[in-house]
Amino acid sequence: MNQVKRLISRNAVPLLFGIVCLLGVYFAKMPGQFLLMEIVKRMARNSFLVLSLIIPVAAGMGLNFGIVLGALAGQIALILSTHWEWAGIGGLLLTALLATPLAVLFGFLAGMLLNKAKGREMITGMVMGFFANGLYQFVFLFLVGTVIPFDNPRLRISTSPGLRNTIDLSRIKGTLDGIWEVRYGFTKFPMVTFLVIAVLALAIWAFFRTKLGQEFRAVGQDRHIAGVSGINVDRNRILAIVISTVLAAWGQLIFLQNIGTLNTYNSHEQVGTFAIAALLIGGATVTKATIGQALMGTFLFHLLFAVSPNAGQTIFGSAQVGEYFRVFVAYGIIAISLALHAWQSKSLARASLEEDLSS
Amino acid sequence: MKKRLCILLALVLVFGLVGAAQAASLPFKIGLITGTVSQGEEEYQAAVKMAARYPDSIIHVTYPDNFMQEQETVIGQIVQFAMDPQIKAIVVCQAVPGSTAAFSTVRDMRDDIVIIAGVPHEDPAVVAPYVDLAMETDQLRRGASIAQLAAEMGAKKILHYSFPRHMSMELLAVRYQNMKDEAAKLGLEVIDVTAPDPMGDAGIPGTQQFILEDIPRQAEIHGTDIAFFGTNCSMMEPAIRASLDAGIIFPEQCCPSPFHGYPGALGIEIDEEHKGDVPYILDQIKAKVAEMGRSGRMATWVAPINMVFVEAGVELAIKAIQEGLDLGDVAAVEEAVFDSTGVKLSMNRYLDDANFYLVIADSIIF
Repeated sequence: MNQVKRLISRNAVPLLFGIVCLLGVYFAKMPGQFLLMEIVKRMARNSFLVLSLIIPVAAGMGLNFGIVLGALAGQIALILSTHWEWAGIGGLLLTALLATPLAVLFGFLAGMLLNKAKGREMITGMVMGFFANGLYQFVFLFLVGTVIPFDNPRLRISTSPGLRNTIDLSRIKGTLDGIWEVRYGFTKFPMVTFLVIAVLALAIWAFFRTKLGQEFRAVGQDRHIAGVSGINVDRNRILAIVISTVLAAWGQLIFLQNIGTLNTYNSHEQVGTFAIAALLIGGATVTKATIGQALMGTFLFHLLFAVSPNAGQTIFGSAQVGEYFRVFVAYGIIAISLALHAWQSKSLARASLEEDLSS
Repeated sequence: MKKRLCILLALVLVFGLVGAAQAASLPFKIGLITGTVSQGEEEYQAAVKMAARYPDSIIHVTYPDNFMQEQETVIGQIVQFAMDPQIKAIVVCQAVPGSTAAFSTVRDMRDDIVIIAGVPHEDPAVVAPYVDLAMETDQLRRGASIAQLAAEMGAKKILHYSFPRHMSMELLAVRYQNMKDEAAKLGLEVIDVTAPDPMGDAGIPGTQQFILEDIPRQAEIHGTDIAFFGTNCSMMEPAIRASLDAGIIFPEQCCPSPFHGYPGALGIEIDEEHKGDVPYILDQIKAKVAEMGRSGRMATWVAPINMVFVEAGVELAIKAIQEGLDLGDVAAVEEAVFDSTGVKLSMNRYLDDANFYLVIADSIIF
């Protein structure tokens, strides 16, 4: 009995979310085909990004809101590759190659900054993302075409400096997804994309079994003890952020090759918050996140977002009340999930204390 | 003569709307997606009206309020239409970011769907290949059309109220230049007035107070044959009130629509029954303006343009499917819009190889 109780309380967040999702599916009355298509697409787009959050969590740096930087690195590479007209899967791989040094640089700078703000990594990362966004806009909205010579008519605004607000990525659209697709009705399963996600999941699993991975864990559990036992804490923390940023850059490329258009000034904005929300919904905490939680969270988060507009509309019979209801439920559930975390970790702490006392 | 023309126009408009307002069912369905009222009351009300006009044939859904962040939801909302084999057209207004990605997915799934986009937010050259027709207000041509209207209404001078932040915007700056060029041709003088920026320290009340105080001052200096034009939405209500009081000319708002500024400035209550009812509001404004003895001095567009985009989008889609209307034929499209909505639009092709039209509507002088 106690075991069941513990199981439920440990997985309260995904359970609650799962129930709401099931209700949503019931009320939305969407064609199963469409639901399947949406979920497959959204999983293929987002899983890689969510997985990129795991390593910093293990290294004790909390949820890396700074993956926005990685997304920016990916987008800068994409802008350049569109300018140079790279195409096909080769073009995408080259773009990923181009994004890597940028992401390493951004990750390194971010890591240095976060080392100065130990214990406040999450809020620092979030503000850093806003700052990077400002810098990005300054470069691409003002410097391009004034200081940086750039006159590609398909990318530049015709009458003033800066890039157009939308960039057509048709040259690389679906290049990764399209290598091997298994069709089922309307749904196309992008096998290679899922394979890439699986390889990443496996790599993360394997990574924590290496010496470096164990060092990350040690740093995550207690910085001081790790430091005393001869682990270079600061170096490991920077490395964790660099890896996360590089993965986020690649993740953003996977996301955008699926979407097919780049909204130059907005595509990266939601990356951090949504990936983190998905991870938390999977049952992860700021101190512990697993691959299973990441994938489960991505699935649940996007399932709710896929069914909630229609669910709201069928329940209330009005398009806009449905939308308000959807926002209320979707974000409300995320808030409840976070509150549940706090309650959970408290009750877990109490349970282990009681166990210690009774033994 | 002019007055008679106006009455005729209003009558045509009323009958046009009544004529088209008969409820009918279609042999197919149309997916219609707009924002909620928190984003744009006009589009939502227009969509509700269309759903009532074609019951069971229009499926109206909304895109998220924070569409910038939830692009995947925007895409999902549009793409789900393609799953329903009965849906033969998709009309999106406003075509917020994510629409292009959704359109290209729809095109991959189905080749028999007519896609019409109103007010695309994404770059025209990127959106255009995926839509059968796109419509957007023509800010550049408005520069000249406002000057012409002002002259027609008897203005000798145009007061252009703006502030540096707005004048650094490409479209607004070019519109101002076009207005000056056209005014010079017509023998009008354009006077540049700098108002406080509503985003500045004094905020919106500061701007509104300035407008209320400055219009009588200008009327004293230049006489009443001056026309007001302001570039910011918050200026409209005080400007309409002050223009009526001072007796100067008001050709149109920054975003021309009978619903913009007029109901507030004239104290017109719009009850539940008349929400989004264009002929009703035009009648009300005309009566109030006449009551104040300012007939012929106030004007706006015959219809709120975004409402027209929704209505015209649906009607054009129906005509394209049922009658094989060629959406690339500008004159035929203009005519079809007039036939079905009673609103005369002047459309200009913006891109050579796509049906991306910049639009201005006729004015109605009260």
